[in-house]
Amino acid sequence: MTTADLYAALAAASHCVAGCSQKETVWESGKLKLYRYRPIARPAGGAPLLIVYALVNRPYMMDLQEDRSLIRGLLAQGVDVYLIDWGYPDGADRFTTLADYIDNYLAACVQQILHAHQLQALNLLGVCQGGVLSLCFAALHPQRVRNLITMVTPVDFHTPADLLSKWAAKIDITAWVNDGNVSGDALNQLFLSLMPFRLTQQKYVDLLSGSADRARVENFMRVEQWIFDSPDQAGAAFREFVTWLYQENRLARNQLEIAGRKIDLRELQLPILNLIGMRDHLVPPDASGALRRLVGSSDYTALEFDLGHIGMYISARAQREVPPAIAQWLASR
Amino acid sequence: MEREPWRQWQQFASLWAAASSESPGRFGRDGGVGFAPLMDAVERFTAAARTFLDNCAGGSSHEAEAVRVFSDFLRERFADFQMPWGAFGVGAGAARGAPPPSVGDLPAFGASREQQQRWQRLASAAQRIDDAQRRLQRLWSDMLRDAAAAFAARLMSPPPGPVSSEALQALYAGWIDCAEDAYARMAHGEAFCNALAEFVNASSQWRLELQASTGHMAKLLDLPTRSEINTLLQRLKSIEDRLHAAPEPTAPTRPSRKRSARSKTKP
Repeated sequence: MTTADLYAALAAASHCVAGCSQKETVWESGKLKLYRYRPIARPAGGAPLLIVYALVNRPYMMDLQEDRSLIRGLLAQGVDVYLIDWGYPDGADRFTTLADYIDNYLAACVQQILHAHQLQALNLLGVCQGGVLSLCFAALHPQRVRNLITMVTPVDFHTPADLLSKWAAKIDITAWVNDGNVSGDALNQLFLSLMPFRLTQQKYVDLLSGSADRARVENFMRVEQWIFDSPDQAGAAFREFVTWLYQENRLARNQLEIAGRKIDLRELQLPILNLIGMRDHLVPPDASGALRRLVGSSDYTALEFDLGHIGMYISARAQREVPPAIAQWLASR
Repeated sequence: MEREPWRQWQQFASLWAAASSESPGRFGRDGGVGFAPLMDAVERFTAAARTFLDNCAGGSSHEAEAVRVFSDFLRERFADFQMPWGAFGVGAGAARGAPPPSVGDLPAFGASREQQQRWQRLASAAQRIDDAQRRLQRLWSDMLRDAAAAFAARLMSPPPGPVSSEALQALYAGWIDCAEDAYARMAHGEAFCNALAEFVNASSQWRLELQASTGHMAKLLDLPTRSEINTLLQRLKSIEDRLHAAPEPTAPTRPSRKRSARSKTKP
């Protein structure tokens, strides 16, 4: 492909908007929106599934484009899918805490869904940091969660391969946050710095070396948009997350308290499905896999995929394997 | 000395050169946008690889020198690579905006004591940033030397078979692999983690002191300070928290028809 071809293809793809499945906003509060996706297949029955995405990055990665959409894959399996969009925190959100996110916002979303369906409990799918939020919610409100799915979720933050944890160990987070928000752009650069040569050089060389195929370039543009669409982080929640989890590893030690209540993973008795990316550079497999030894549930399943962090959402293999695995696991419960 | 790698690089570079020459003017290489820096990097890499292989061809006695020259090139090429220490709000050169070092030597007293102490702390933080930056650059430079040496060793045993675009990409990927391996070893090391933490912590201190100075100026001009706005936000959040914790209000009892009718009659 010539540079001219590439630039023409990139320009043509610049209008591409991420998101392909039809959805409606069923509830909103402040910057938060709760979406429900329209079904595209015969309902499989069972409780609805609420996807809890991370606070870093935007949740549309779950529904990037038709052939790269975890949500579309789930809809095709007849799953009733809800998704939380946390929005973009601004200066007014600087004192929003983890307790606010878990015991206020997430709890309110769950309540809305339960009320709409006249149910006592639903299914939760927590993605990355959203998995931590989901684990905490399930520990605080076990009666409201029927089944819990965690996807590329860090649980033990002190595994040897966890580079972010090592970097965070001696950083004075309180001084860094300083009662403000944390820049999403700064975090982005930090994530790129985990593998700087691959993520800032090779990726673009590969693009130029390949074909000018429209679908390929459009996919590149959508992923690129997502990668650099990083909301600022509410300062208080960020400080708590880094201090309590990355530095003190409280979740794995059963020492985490949210809203004054202890999060004891040993008390989680509900069925758990843990989806692990074996080539995940952000959340090392061991950090996710630790959940097995920490939870009290006897119904624990771990599925390992030879994929990286982002590949778990959008790779062709993930499209083929992850939604059916989730749907089958849910159907059997 | 095996010449195959050089031939591979030459063909690889010609692909890039062709792409470059076909670019329309507005996307030209001097535009400073998009892929121009990457193409430039590949061409420079190619030239350095050629020199390296030519030097190696001079015999085994020249090999060590060739590796050194090639390593130096890679170290120089990536010396200014943007790294996480640019991500924390304060990058290199913080010390340039700091007060002169002489301020730090003067004892603080009198009416301007607080301001002088603040400037001294600012200068101290800027110095710490500068020191940490130097430590990080040294580690980065050492890492590049290791990566370059590993890659040079790889170049001496090229994969057999005909040259293809896949083979060319694999060669480039080889450099990336070597660089990432060396980087991972460095990034996981205690020296790097300590230097990074010191850089971030000093940057936080520097920003804190600068904020305090700005706050001081804001007070003089009767402008709201960050601290005042934060206090208001905290009070607002406290009210929200109390509302959230309060029990749901019970539904008001429906007024009786009679009572309602009576109230209607009131003016």
